[in-house]
Amino acid sequence: MSPARWIRASYCVRGCEIATGVILAWAGLAKIGDLGSFAAQIHNFRILPVALENLAAMTLPWIEIVVALTLLLGMRSRDGARTALVLLVVFTLAVVAAVTRGLDIECGCFGTADASHVGWSKIAENVGLIAIAVIAALGPVAATERPSGVARLETGDVRS
Amino acid sequence: MSDPTFRATTVESASAGLRGMALLCLAGAALGIGYNALGLGGKDPWGLPWIGRDRLAQLAASAVVSGSTAPESAGVDPYTTDVSDPRAVLAGEAGGGLPEIAPREEPQQIVVAAVQQYVDAGAALLIDAREPQEYEAGHIPGAISLPYDQVATDRQRLEQLDTGGRPIVVYCGGGTCELSLSLAWDLVYAGQTRVAVYMGGYPDWVDAGLPVVTGAKP
Repeated sequence: MSPARWIRASYCVRGCEIATGVILAWAGLAKIGDLGSFAAQIHNFRILPVALENLAAMTLPWIEIVVALTLLLGMRSRDGARTALVLLVVFTLAVVAAVTRGLDIECGCFGTADASHVGWSKIAENVGLIAIAVIAALGPVAATERPSGVARLETGDVRS
Repeated sequence: MSDPTFRATTVESASAGLRGMALLCLAGAALGIGYNALGLGGKDPWGLPWIGRDRLAQLAASAVVSGSTAPESAGVDPYTTDVSDPRAVLAGEAGGGLPEIAPREEPQQIVVAAVQQYVDAGAALLIDAREPQEYEAGHIPGAISLPYDQVATDRQRLEQLDTGGRPIVVYCGGGTCELSLSLAWDLVYAGQTRVAVYMGGYPDWVDAGLPVVTGAKP
């Protein structure tokens, strides 16, 4: 089995879905209890307009939780994985922006209990998560891509 | 892949994918807003009006702990985590010596009476975190100008700061005085350990009827 086939094997995809789901659920749950601190952490990144920081603090953890649920329960998990991927990329860009501007701030990734600061190790960690999310987002090999004649029978989005 | 049916299906499923992602985000946002609107978060400040509240004003309002006000009675607000222990407020002692600004890995707060003692004794490096034009319009005697906006992009200025072995007292425009908190944390990160924030800032100093200096010099 070539690597390209291997990462699209169903058990591998399922594993990545669960891993991404657990991480996001953890991240979301850690933040909903302490909105004020999370808003302050968002503020420290100095990326969003101040007027949007509270709204982001209020909604972002819940988006993470909804996405995590789709992944963990396997319902609409392809949509969930793609959203997770977008979230992770956005978060990573925020960390990169903070690091390149020389800001030494708390990541806020997992609420206040996690005091990790932004830095290259955090970026590396996120790149790893992105790789896992990419596998989940690609999903298992779909019928349309199987080298057999079955493809024409299932042209719908069999992946979701 | 040149099969038009296949291509059409791909485009269709891509837009369906985007719809699905948008749906998930909307569902999450709705849950978050609903959860807080219903007050399930437990704390009333996180209701819907909080979305539009001026965060900076709130930050300053909660962080100003004056005199001997105990943090318990002042209410514990998450924003005060910026100055993590309000009990470290340095109050001036009547007739006593200089209150000690002990080395800590975080900024501490200082009140006007103590600032005045430090200014009179020249025992602290005062830093004005406001914009240069505000500094020129009037500042606390002896304070140097270190606008936070410039420092944020030029950290070397912090690392090369010569305190002469004295503690640092940072202040700004009071009220929404977030600049001095941010600057204070930057100073701590740059290796300074005796950093105090004068939350009342310049307006508080003026209100107290204390002398000011105008112009670009300390």
